[in-house]
Amino acid sequence: MRFLIVDDSSTMRRIIINTLNKLGHQDVAEAGNGKEGLDRLSAGPVDVIITDWNMPEMSGIDFIRTVRSMPEIKDTPVLMVTTNAAKDDIVEALKAGVNSYVVKPFTPDTMKEKIEAVLAR
Amino acid sequence: MPPTAAIDSLFIDELTAATRDVFKTMVFQDLEAASPTSEDALKPGANVVGTVAFAGKTVGLVVFYSTLDAAQAITASMLGVEPASVNGELHDAIGELTNMIAGSFRTRMAHAKGETWAISVPTVTVGSDFYTKYVSDVQRVLCPFRMNKAELYVELIVTRSATQ
Repeated sequence: MRFLIVDDSSTMRRIIINTLNKLGHQDVAEAGNGKEGLDRLSAGPVDVIITDWNMPEMSGIDFIRTVRSMPEIKDTPVLMVTTNAAKDDIVEALKAGVNSYVVKPFTPDTMKEKIEAVLAR
Repeated sequence: MPPTAAIDSLFIDELTAATRDVFKTMVFQDLEAASPTSEDALKPGANVVGTVAFAGKTVGLVVFYSTLDAAQAITASMLGVEPASVNGELHDAIGELTNMIAGSFRTRMAHAKGETWAISVPTVTVGSDFYTKYVSDVQRVLCPFRMNKAELYVELIVTRSATQ
């Protein structure tokens, strides 16, 4: 199973990769913003996308909207990891096509549960 | 008047809770909180300073201070590596840590006071023999914490509050 993590923080990417590794997932691609994420996806599809919201160049929301508009990858499950916790933010993310949502800070158990829930879809 | 009376104690309580929550969940460390102070002369001895601005009805900054050693320990714990192996990751880790403290503080204040704030991207300064001076009239409160033997500080600087 192949994952794509899109986050401008290399620290947050490493934290998520550590969690994925503990769950037995080793095949992980990384991108620093939505534009780089689309570049990674143009090289081949992934099974799950985990993305931040606030990033330079292209935000997580714009990235997801673009992914949902591309027929070959539009059904890829997306988990958003962000500090944006307002109800309006969550509604906007869900409307853009996010399947699940994790608010930072999070425990390893929370991240594990959310990843497993997305995979079970 | 107590030294922290200038800033609503709710802000201080929520910032303290946000900081402890971020450290518990993302750094895997329990922080011990000491009494906040707003003494003007207090300048935390720090080599690493992370800053995130927020703006809404209340406008200000959340500032994180630590020594270089403590910042390396925090970075190592977040990344799951040994402190000695931390190299170029420190700036990003402290920026993300400050971002999460400010973000969690924003969420808590939205629940407590119904205020909606935007927050900036974090900035991180690493160096020695420097301090930050604010030229405008601000309210400040410094919240000290202890992580094992290391002293850490989180400062709340309010440049405009909802009641002003």
